[in-house]
Amino acid sequence: MSALLEVRHLSRSFRTVPAVNDVSFAVREGELLGLMGPNGAGKSTLFNLIAGVLPPSAGEIIYDGKTVTGWKAHDMARVGIARTFQIPKPYRQLSVIENVMLSAFLREKSTAGARRVAATTLEEVGLGEFAESPASALTVGLLKRLEVARALAMRPKLVLFDEIMAGLTPTEVGAMTSFVAQLPARGITVIWVEHVLYAIMKTATRMIVINRGKQIAEGTPAAMARDPAVVKAYLGEEIAIA
Amino acid sequence: MSIILDANAPKGGIPKLPQRGQVSWFEIILLLACIGVVASGVAHGLMDVIVLSFLFAGLALAWNIAGGYAGLISFGHSAFFGVGAFTSTILLTRHDLSPWIGIWIGALIAAAFGSILAIICARLRGPFFILSTLAFAEVVRIIALNWASLTGGPEGLSIPPTSSLADMVFASKSVYAALMLGYLVVVYGITKGLEASRFGYYLFAIRDNEDAAAAAGVNPLAGRAAAMALSAALTGIGGSLFAQYFLYLDPTYLISPELSFQFALLPAVGGLGTAIGPVLGSFLITPLSELLRSYFGSAAAGLHLVIYSLGLLGVMLYFPSGLAGALNKLTRRRPFS
Amino acid sequence: MATFLQLLLSGILIGSVYALMSIGLTLIFGVLRIVNFAHGEFLMIAMYGAWAITHLLGLNPYAAAIAIVPAMFLFGGLVYLLIVRPALDKPHLVVVFATMALSIFLQNAALMAMTADLRDIPPIFAHSLTIGPIYVKVELLLGFIITLICTVGLQWIIKRTYLGKAIRATVQDGEAAMLMGIPVPRIFLITFAAGSALVGLAACVMVPLFSVFPSVGLNFVLIAFVIVVLGGMGSIEGALLGGFCVGVIQSLSGYYVAPAFGQLFFFVLFLLVMIFRPNGLLGQQGAATVGMND
Repeated sequence: MSALLEVRHLSRSFRTVPAVNDVSFAVREGELLGLMGPNGAGKSTLFNLIAGVLPPSAGEIIYDGKTVTGWKAHDMARVGIARTFQIPKPYRQLSVIENVMLSAFLREKSTAGARRVAATTLEEVGLGEFAESPASALTVGLLKRLEVARALAMRPKLVLFDEIMAGLTPTEVGAMTSFVAQLPARGITVIWVEHVLYAIMKTATRMIVINRGKQIAEGTPAAMARDPAVVKAYLGEEIAIA
Repeated sequence: MSIILDANAPKGGIPKLPQRGQVSWFEIILLLACIGVVASGVAHGLMDVIVLSFLFAGLALAWNIAGGYAGLISFGHSAFFGVGAFTSTILLTRHDLSPWIGIWIGALIAAAFGSILAIICARLRGPFFILSTLAFAEVVRIIALNWASLTGGPEGLSIPPTSSLADMVFASKSVYAALMLGYLVVVYGITKGLEASRFGYYLFAIRDNEDAAAAAGVNPLAGRAAAMALSAALTGIGGSLFAQYFLYLDPTYLISPELSFQFALLPAVGGLGTAIGPVLGSFLITPLSELLRSYFGSAAAGLHLVIYSLGLLGVMLYFPSGLAGALNKLTRRRPFS
Repeated sequence: MATFLQLLLSGILIGSVYALMSIGLTLIFGVLRIVNFAHGEFLMIAMYGAWAITHLLGLNPYAAAIAIVPAMFLFGGLVYLLIVRPALDKPHLVVVFATMALSIFLQNAALMAMTADLRDIPPIFAHSLTIGPIYVKVELLLGFIITLICTVGLQWIIKRTYLGKAIRATVQDGEAAMLMGIPVPRIFLITFAAGSALVGLAACVMVPLFSVFPSVGLNFVLIAFVIVVLGGMGSIEGALLGGFCVGVIQSLSGYYVAPAFGQLFFFVLFLLVMIFRPNGLLGQQGAATVGMND
């Protein structure tokens, strides 16, 4: 399988601070790539680069064979890259189902069709009962699920999940983990940034760890847990040595 | 895309209150009432107010497409109003082109101005955006005032008052009222169709959360430009109709911040982001301000505006969702904003 | 050449006066993130006040500032409490329309109270100063000096006092400031009142230079907006710089092109700045993109 997404020497600095520093990796179709790193490591910036929200300071992004470096967010969305926002960004004056319809409109031209897709997607993520509620009435946990629904309603090829587990109860974490795990089988490639270790260790086929903008490790989840560089990044020098 | 949609259909018949994308009993009755008023041939003085109420309702709806639906709060719409009015009038008085055609040319040019404004303000939000629209309209006004060979300068332009269907000049005010009602109905129809359409939803998305909209595949700049162009075109048509009614164009009034403010005020009072809101706003405020002006205007200069502005202040602070919002709250339906 | 220098100097001097009236507006925006659309009317009523004191008590308008500035401070505070604060937690639009409504109210209340007659004060200084071939109106020079003193004073307050620090913190991140124990609502109140007081001072300086009438605010508010945006919302030095630019442009274009076009030039300038440097010349990064969804 060829790479769906390839990121080459990607860098992004803000003034003089390198938020993302020479990151390179590839994601094959059908993979579930986990992306981890301590807070402030640059994961969200990396997502913003891939999603077209920010232009890179250096490097290339190749998606589905096309060079998409510097493309804007809406163009990235149109070629099949969907993303969730770490801090949910709902359309507050619309209902929950209308929020999802918006995303569904990418592939559906009619309102009725978009509504159908939206209703189905809401059921999938367990938000069906809130369909007609105003989005402003949802709690943060539910809003995160709304983010997932919106991303999926776009019928993407690649989806970027940014900490979708925050605010979920343990039962919900289990349900969401199983849900995400079956996405690759549906033809959706996933890159997942997550702090809830259980979810990502269980589902990821491969993982990358980032610290201070640089890639410090890559491999299977099990290998990552043992990698000294990773432990050091999260827990500090002494524990890594011990 | 039809006005009455399956997707949003309630269980059973036509809804009582205005809903997104559907015609309600309220709207049907209101329309019938308007037609009745026009047909009844009411007194001259009242007909004036009726003509203006219909026209400004259409103008308020036009503004609402940009301001209420797309979130582009413009205080510069009088520029589009003036462009429409002057285009059709110049074409009529100097090139003998019937306003029935001139109106559309005016609309096109106004749309171009609207797109230009949207592009100029591409990166601006909030008060910066509002101020830029103000500046834009002022630039247009100053140019119009000084380009005497085109616009007649400060003296403005006149349309000869000989009634003729081809020239869209009528002796009877009732005919004008019918014309304005027609305009209102058309703009209303466009608005209703828009709010249940993909494009309409895209505008809501741009308004409510631009980043999320972009992530969903919406091109924010294209959306803003399209909304502004459509809004400008419809406003321009209103301008042309206004010119045909008043038969005199004065750039100082036509392209003024005061008028721009009026276009924004009526939807705000009536309820932004709904179709019925701007109509309600105009139907309330236009007659009210005429009434105030005739009742108090002679008593003391400025009194009617003092009362008017205090009322406005009260409405803004206590009914922020406007009349439409209050209407919905009264019947405890979820407000469609 | 002498004409050019004259125009340049007049432009800078009048620009400083424009700047003085705009500093309040930029402060209010920087801290509260709202534009007070009644700003011109605040100026107008302060000008009427200064005129009245001068006219009735025989004082000069600069002395009248002793009464006008505190009066405007109180007035601003009142407006904040009654109108601005209730509007702040509603959609952004409400503040815009509420201050617009206030503007209409004040204009027409003034019309009713004072009629549309122009009010002037008799000239204070018999002669202009001359520096070589150049004339300098003393009132303008005084205005310039007062503006500079004011700017320096404000900068000192902002940079050296706790209040100033609290204001800067609120400008950068209101929520964080609140979490740190800064009484943000009170900062809002003080800023709005202080901004209004500054307008009062500007009015006293302007009364010797301009006639007062109910809609005088309209002319000046657009100028103030241009200055604030040009200089960068929230920046006091920016307001000064913006004022100079606007004053000079108006002065030069009014003479070399045509008086009517004087206004056109700085609106075009405004739009150009909006396209290319929307944060203004000295404003905060991203200020122009502060929208309503934050």
